[in-house]
Amino acid sequence: MGLLSIIRKIKRKEKEMRILMVGLDNSGKTTIVLKINGEDTSVISPTLGFNIKTITYQKYTLNIWDVGGQKTIRSYWRNYFEQTDGLIWVVDSSDLRRLDDCKMELDNLLKEERLSGASLLIFANKQDIKGALTPAEIAKVLNLEAMDKTRHWKIVGCSAYTGEGLLEGFDWLVQDIASRIYMLE
Amino acid sequence: MEGEADRSDASADASALRKKHLAMLERLSNRHQSRPDKPDPPPASSSSSSFESTSSFLSLFGESRRSIESRLAQCRLADPSLLKLHFDEISASIADLEKLVAESSYYLPSYEVRSSLKTISDLKQALDTLSSELIPKKKFSFKNKPARKEPTAPSLKGADAENCDSMPAAKGGSLAVAVPDSPGFRNRANEVLAKDVRGLEVGEFTLSDLESCEVRLIGCARALFVHRLRNCRVYAGPVTGSVLIEEAENCVFLLASHQIRIHNAKASDFYLRVRSRPIIEDCSGVRFAPYRLHYRGIERDLEDAGLGEEAGNWSKVDDFKWLRAAQSPNWSVLPEDERIETVDISDLSA
Ligand SMILES: Nc1nc2c(ncn2[C@@H]2O[C@H](COP(=O)(O)OP(=O)(O)OP(=O)(O)O)[C@@H](O)[C@H]2O)c(=O)[nH]1
Ligand SMILES: [Mg+2]
Repeated sequence: MGLLSIIRKIKRKEKEMRILMVGLDNSGKTTIVLKINGEDTSVISPTLGFNIKTITYQKYTLNIWDVGGQKTIRSYWRNYFEQTDGLIWVVDSSDLRRLDDCKMELDNLLKEERLSGASLLIFANKQDIKGALTPAEIAKVLNLEAMDKTRHWKIVGCSAYTGEGLLEGFDWLVQDIASRIYMLE
Repeated sequence: MEGEADRSDASADASALRKKHLAMLERLSNRHQSRPDKPDPPPASSSSSSFESTSSFLSLFGESRRSIESRLAQCRLADPSLLKLHFDEISASIADLEKLVAESSYYLPSYEVRSSLKTISDLKQALDTLSSELIPKKKFSFKNKPARKEPTAPSLKGADAENCDSMPAAKGGSLAVAVPDSPGFRNRANEVLAKDVRGLEVGEFTLSDLESCEVRLIGCARALFVHRLRNCRVYAGPVTGSVLIEEAENCVFLLASHQIRIHNAKASDFYLRVRSRPIIEDCSGVRFAPYRLHYRGIERDLEDAGLGEEAGNWSKVDDFKWLRAAQSPNWSVLPEDERIETVDISDLSA
């Protein structure tokens, strides 16, 4: 595979993981990334394109691609699929009306060959908001049980405001990716 | 002004000098902060860039783009055995270009970000097309690709229960979860709809399917969802999270929030105080002005919501549907002589 396989090898050596973060606009992706990185979350504009954050998590280097979810730029998501080790799908658990949209976009994403090997973490975000659906309810609406049995996935409730649930989610994702990629060596 | 410190008597020299130095640093950092830059650069990992870098970004971007394009063109003439290598290299260059955009995106004007993204997308497309044209598809299938079978009917017992957080069983038995009665106004016409949410600790508040109504909302909510409003006036106190508006026509909104996203609005006026840049998508004829709402105690509520100060973002609208540098034709600043007076809703039902 030429260069690509060389890149893969380097990546493994440095214990890098490429994580793609998507979801509808307003779901809280950028807020989550900044929060997990210990940055100020008080002023965040809707993402026009994407942000890359490189953070060290445990003994791994995570390259997190936070891509904007506004309708106009959802068509760009597919530009970021290549070599994704982990996929984070963020849901605004208080936005009941758009759960249909949310399900449709997620279903489309999961049909993608290039993402078929990626571990999937679903963040049921905004749990701090009264009236938000619980992770179990979100799992039901998104019909996660019907997912391809080969997919590694988990849904975790969280709040980017309080930080609750974020570490639990990332811990699972990083462990899952590590056990697939690195333990094999 | 610094001359004074210079003339001060010798004994105080050292401390005066230090003070002067500190004052200078402070002035410098103030000046740095008040640059006519995007007001809210996400504290990106690379903090070296600044406003002036836009032009150097553009020339760098243009250069790499041209180089990639010419390499793409050369592929047709290349030795077929080296094609794969060429494609990998071009692919790596596109990835680098993408990284450049990502790293620069926080200080670049929004239309530059979007048009750069478009360019990258086009380059990738061109590469894909070319490589599927020039490299014949391999016959074997990759082992690590899981067979893609139609999802079987979901089993009823929670086989994947370990995937869920330890959460109580979902309410309601059917697939679609019974939607809880969230606070809000829905399906009304020709009414004044008023609510004082102070002390209620509301989470999200919803306004949907309203026709010719006036909405008065006193106090703070965490999130506000607005859907399908026509000929309505909406007067709302601060929202600590975000406001999401979809489908509004001939409406007037007075809103204060951390984020405001407006989709599919037509011929409507928005009087906003907002901490980040308001955005519009699929809108036309929308106009913007500063927030003009009053009720007893609103200053306190604004303060508590972190919206005590007018940051001037109401006019920094980003139109996701507009790729060019020129002003978007979809929105404008509401001329001062057409703006409404401050609206007072202290007396909710009046
Ligand atoms: N209450 C509450 N609000 C949140 C939470 N996470 C994010 N928000 C708010 O939701 C809004 C959207 O957050 P962003 O992080 O910009 O959302 P995003 O998914 O990056 O949106 P795009 O960039 O458009 O795709 C902001 O106003 C946040 O303050 C949360 O856990 N709780
Ligand atoms: Mg974002």
